[in-house]
Amino acid sequence: MNRTRTLLKKIAWAVFTILFVIVLNFFLFRVLPGDPARAGIRDPRLKKEAVEMLRVRFGLDKPVINCFESLNPIKVGSCAVNPLDTQFFIYIGNLFQGELGISYHTNRPVADILSERLWNTVLLIGAGQILSIIIGVIFGVFAAWKAHTSIDYSAVITSLMVWSLPTFWLAIILLFWGSSNGLPLAGKATPGSSSLPLLQQWADIFRHMLLPTLTYTIVYMGEYTLIMRSSLIDVLSEDYILTAKAKGLSTFQILKDHALKNAMLPLVTIIAINLGFTVAGAIQIEAVFSWPGLGGAIFEAVGRRDFPVLQGAFLLIAVTVIFANLIADLTYSYLDPRVQTE
Amino acid sequence: MKRKMLYLLVLAVLILSACGGKPASTDTSEAPVTTEPAVVKIGWAGNPDSLNPGLAILTESYTILELVYDSMYELNLDGSFTLTLAESVDRSDDGLVYTYKIKDGIKWHDGKPLTAEDVSFSYNLYKDTPEYPYMNGYYTPYFESIKATENNEVVLTLTEAIPNIESQLVFLYVLPKHIWESVDKLEYENVEMIGSGPFKMTEYVQSEFIRLTANKEHFATPPKVDEVIFQTFENQDALVQAIKTGQLDMITEMSNTAVESLKTAENVEVVVGSPLAPDISDIVFNQLEDENCPKDDGGICTGHPALRDRDMRLALAHATDKQKLIDVILLGLGTPGLTLIPDGLGVWYNNSIKDYEFDVEKANQILNDAGYFDTDGDGVREMPDGSRPLTFRLNWPSDSITAPRLAELLSEMWGEIGVTLEMQAVDPDALTSQCCPAFDFDILLWGWGSDPDPSALLYVYTTEAIPTGSSETGYSNPAYDELYAQQQITLDFEARKAIVWEMQKMVHDDVVYIIPWYAQSTQAFRTDRFTGWLTGQSKVELSDVSSLVVIEPVK
Repeated sequence: MNRTRTLLKKIAWAVFTILFVIVLNFFLFRVLPGDPARAGIRDPRLKKEAVEMLRVRFGLDKPVINCFESLNPIKVGSCAVNPLDTQFFIYIGNLFQGELGISYHTNRPVADILSERLWNTVLLIGAGQILSIIIGVIFGVFAAWKAHTSIDYSAVITSLMVWSLPTFWLAIILLFWGSSNGLPLAGKATPGSSSLPLLQQWADIFRHMLLPTLTYTIVYMGEYTLIMRSSLIDVLSEDYILTAKAKGLSTFQILKDHALKNAMLPLVTIIAINLGFTVAGAIQIEAVFSWPGLGGAIFEAVGRRDFPVLQGAFLLIAVTVIFANLIADLTYSYLDPRVQTE
Repeated sequence: MKRKMLYLLVLAVLILSACGGKPASTDTSEAPVTTEPAVVKIGWAGNPDSLNPGLAILTESYTILELVYDSMYELNLDGSFTLTLAESVDRSDDGLVYTYKIKDGIKWHDGKPLTAEDVSFSYNLYKDTPEYPYMNGYYTPYFESIKATENNEVVLTLTEAIPNIESQLVFLYVLPKHIWESVDKLEYENVEMIGSGPFKMTEYVQSEFIRLTANKEHFATPPKVDEVIFQTFENQDALVQAIKTGQLDMITEMSNTAVESLKTAENVEVVVGSPLAPDISDIVFNQLEDENCPKDDGGICTGHPALRDRDMRLALAHATDKQKLIDVILLGLGTPGLTLIPDGLGVWYNNSIKDYEFDVEKANQILNDAGYFDTDGDGVREMPDGSRPLTFRLNWPSDSITAPRLAELLSEMWGEIGVTLEMQAVDPDALTSQCCPAFDFDILLWGWGSDPDPSALLYVYTTEAIPTGSSETGYSNPAYDELYAQQQITLDFEARKAIVWEMQKMVHDDVVYIIPWYAQSTQAFRTDRFTGWLTGQSKVELSDVSSLVVIEPVK
């Protein structure tokens, strides 16, 4: 009973947060100065009428919202305007019909663009996350187990080093190294590979993924190692571990049955947060390896004032982050029953 | 539980071994990628915005459209035009009616015949769709009517006799009526791209690559290669690395810093020259007179009064060492600029203009003679009436790579003649609203794209362009405006050229802008893969259709 109520409360909060993000998202981009109809186009051939036509086409000729005369630099709209005929309510209306709008830049539906890009990002970052979590946890457990020995120190130093590496720098170094070993330098697949048998297609994508995934794994595993290590060392100093030792359990058993579950708590938080941001991609990695993911799409859309794409992408990110946090919350109460009672 | 842990360890071992085995796996999967047909792999840093010819804006889109479609004329790399789709053209004496006899036997990629019907359908589509920004706004406003006749002729009637029909038609790609008459002309993405040109669209993945197959049955220029791939690289270092290692056969751009290292690379040739569609960098002076302030269109007009004085601008021009700017910023890959009409426009470029020589002493003398003195001894000159110091706001779009360095060098150079700059990078969008037609700035570092015909850029200097936002300087000269109108209706080529040259002289004499340079384009190709790239032309564009249809594999 109590559990259901907590759950419902949490879900309600998540929904409320998403609604807030939708509104904030919309106005965030509108407050920026400038005119999306002219962004990126500087050409004397583009006549005033043509720019006006673009504005009408994308609904930019309508007021942003009614009744906000004094809210500059937002273009004003008077209270006499029908609220349903303002950009804001048209956007909300479309959103509830599942439409994210049309990209100003490519004239394509935003939903199409984002879904193409989303899978590429999930593939790349997902692989990178899983690898870095596994390696990080293993390293962290080792370091904690052998705390204050040379193994521990070298693990900590290595983790700190890779964690503080500039991502783009590491990516470029790996890119140069990879190119001399015949690895592809850009994209997700070799052009034309779609006509190959499925297995070869996968092998091709795997080859393209190697370098970016490796970069991602190296950069993130340090974080996981350090957190796992410190949290495990904490747990290992608890009295019940001493009791377990006194009972004559082996180190492996202590780690596995008594320490690890409790030490995982902080890691779950970090993993949940990082998984949420997975969708945003790793803009730097995607840019260096020309990986056609969401990060690249966001980067390009910012440069071109492509509001519909930005809004769509930000909404997607917000939803995943909120969702991941919700999951983390729920996992938490499973891992640590004390959390639930509050 | 025990099993789970074991599983984890096995997984880790597997992953580690996968990492170690990397180079080995590349050798085995390399084999299927190298195909037997002659495939040209081109790398570029951009990608098309739209393949719908009416909606496309980026140059990359036009590169692809050019390869897949035909238009009435073809723009050659030397700046001339060739009649492509028609075997003959007849112009009426008053210059208002053009009759094109379309060649027989031309086929669309899907096998259907291309006729005058398709041409007139396409031109009418462009003319009647106000949402097509360039097509409707710039290329078709003089079209009165377009009709197809029974003997495969297209009759194009104009509202005014214009001298540049070739450049007006060159980007109006002819579309298949049987496909376009039944699609939504604004929403159609045109990914299938049924055209008639030398290459057929085979596969398009936006932001990744474009695969084109040769149309060996093309009526004029069947390609000698079998396939062309354009692959998008978001990172220019990767682009350069890819041609060095042979993953690409040609790259359409590179950073200037990469040029030297690529020149020494094995089997790679670097080509430098004027770009096909030059971008012009400019130093903009807000010289708008108060009476021209476009208040109805949002004019704020806060320019520094000194910049309205030709002597002031002349002194700045004499104090600008263009060669140094080119050497430092472009690493020498540019030529000193004169006006907005770049040397890349060939015959239209007035090469007889003598630029203001770099001479700081002379510049100082000009300012002294005009009465700008440093009266308070702070190293900065004041206005003749002592009201304001010569402190100018200098802004540039924050996405520009060259502008920050240009600003720094200018501040140094102009400091020599007692001028100080308040320098700030501004978001390009904010800069647009600050620039024109608001005129809320002193000096800007910016630029323009260009058209094969000079008319578009000459328009920027006209009085009529002030309220539209095209004029950045607010320059207004009735004599110039008159010449502008005149060149638009002068049909005789030599006579029009003389006017265009005179207009450039006029704006150069008035120091409307300082054009720091005309940047050169750098491209590179592998010499061990294909031969015949068109390099000896006045413009460099290896991905131009004229180049891609003549190259053949190295034997």
